[in-house]
Amino acid sequence: MTRTVVRATGLTKRYGSFTAVDAVDFTLEENRIYGLLGRNGAGKTTVMQMLTGQIFPNDGQLEVFGRTPAEHADVLRRLCFIAESQRYPDAFHASHVLKAAPWFFENWDAEFAKRLVDDFRLPLNRPIKKLSRGQLSAVGVIVGLASRAPLTFFDEPYLGLDAVARHIFYDRLLTDYAAHPRTIVLSTHLIDEVANLLEHLLIIDQGRILLDRDAEEVRGSATTVAGGRAAVESFVADRAVIGREGIGGLASVTIDGRLDQADRVRAAELGLELAPVSLQQLIVHMTGTDLRADSIEQEVAA
Amino acid sequence: MTAVIEQPIVRTEPRSRFTEIWRVVRLHALTPSVFFGIPWIILGTAWLVMIIIGVIAGAAGADTEKMGEGMRYSWAVLSPQWYLVVVGVQAIGLTMSFALGFGATRRDFWLGTSAMFGIVSLLNAIAIATLVQLEKLTDGWWLNIAMFDALWYGQNGWLVDFYTTLALQLFVLFIGASVTTVYLRWRMRGMLTLALGAIALILGFVAVATFSKSWPAILEWFGGIGIVGVFTVVLGLALVCAIGGYLVIRRATPR
Repeated sequence: MTRTVVRATGLTKRYGSFTAVDAVDFTLEENRIYGLLGRNGAGKTTVMQMLTGQIFPNDGQLEVFGRTPAEHADVLRRLCFIAESQRYPDAFHASHVLKAAPWFFENWDAEFAKRLVDDFRLPLNRPIKKLSRGQLSAVGVIVGLASRAPLTFFDEPYLGLDAVARHIFYDRLLTDYAAHPRTIVLSTHLIDEVANLLEHLLIIDQGRILLDRDAEEVRGSATTVAGGRAAVESFVADRAVIGREGIGGLASVTIDGRLDQADRVRAAELGLELAPVSLQQLIVHMTGTDLRADSIEQEVAA
Repeated sequence: MTAVIEQPIVRTEPRSRFTEIWRVVRLHALTPSVFFGIPWIILGTAWLVMIIIGVIAGAAGADTEKMGEGMRYSWAVLSPQWYLVVVGVQAIGLTMSFALGFGATRRDFWLGTSAMFGIVSLLNAIAIATLVQLEKLTDGWWLNIAMFDALWYGQNGWLVDFYTTLALQLFVLFIGASVTTVYLRWRMRGMLTLALGAIALILGFVAVATFSKSWPAILEWFGGIGIVGVFTVVLGLALVCAIGGYLVIRRATPR
């Protein structure tokens, strides 16, 4: 039986006239890995800050472990959220962070944390102010993993991490998640890197949820059809088009929805090429402005 | 259909409120240089300068009795106070953001921070009041210098020195901390409102006192309540900041 750990209804956050999160509805189930995906400034961090009681919503209902998170110690003790731009006390070293962690996280595994410090080669006795971007991310990743909090947030964990460190994170997260199931929310705009890790996707853009679906369903749900313009257009005529590109007489159109055998046969007869769309491409299609010249000009002007 | 759970998901040991507040004190104490090291380095450096002046004056055969009299007007004993205002600011501005990420509530964070302020003020008050007595006992460290036995110190006994230092320490820490809570809750707009409000209040008071020609009475009142009375007012202001900060921080958001 799965239990709902987060239930958000009409959740809204405004900063003056700017609506950072616009009446979103979603739920998070126990013991799953969620990807909170979207572009920079889409509202990912704002959502996580509301879920962890760091900021107060302007509107809507929010229940985390059955009640509003802000100022409720019994909820907050089950959460772990190290923000991408986390501030630390001025004189802190990474060693201070790890020393304080068990006072706040009751499932803290100091042995595990120590192994992760070695894995990530994190300098413990250097002031946090002097750490590189990747080392700063490592601090957040180590706390997030070793806290084993029932609801753990990773905010852009890959920022500045090198390929080896990213692989270590990926590996340790999956291993530890298998041994100690919990709910994990991972926000990132580096989508292909984490695509295989995620069980459920929440795609957010301009404060709205564009997609809230099982990752398995999403993978392979979109297809790119390429070939002669006329043939492509006739093939996609009555389908949901989410992206369109073309040069001269050639066109490449991305459509939503699975293709059945008949579709594939027809595509072959028309001489069209079918290619699966990666998660990243799909999200670019869903959240990107149309790649037409005028919209690019507008963006440059803005 | 899934139901929102009511029972806890994981093993949760009952945690007392005391533990939740005490861990914030431990968090502040994790880098002891901030609350203890640097203030005492500042004070120690000021003391060393005074000692060197005393040695030079003594070697040059100057009238060290007179020098000691002059030193009574030096503010060296108060040198760490400005730094401690900054400590109050950073305790909220930086440490709160971190503690919230670790799952502390704002309420427990403020109570823990207040406890830390109390402990620091208590220790500093004991130390300073004792140093005043030591300085008197050794005739200004055998050099006739007056660093601790200065300003209002050293005239009314250990207990008064202790009380006045305690009040002053609590005041500087809480004013830095509580003003920072205003910033975290209302950002720049709140700071401007607070500053303008404070200026308007002071100007209004000055205007009323001047037009009603009550300055002599006010000065007489301050004279009447004495050193202990004045510092009771300071302690009262510290208490106002402490309570105000508690109310404001409850909806403050980290940067």
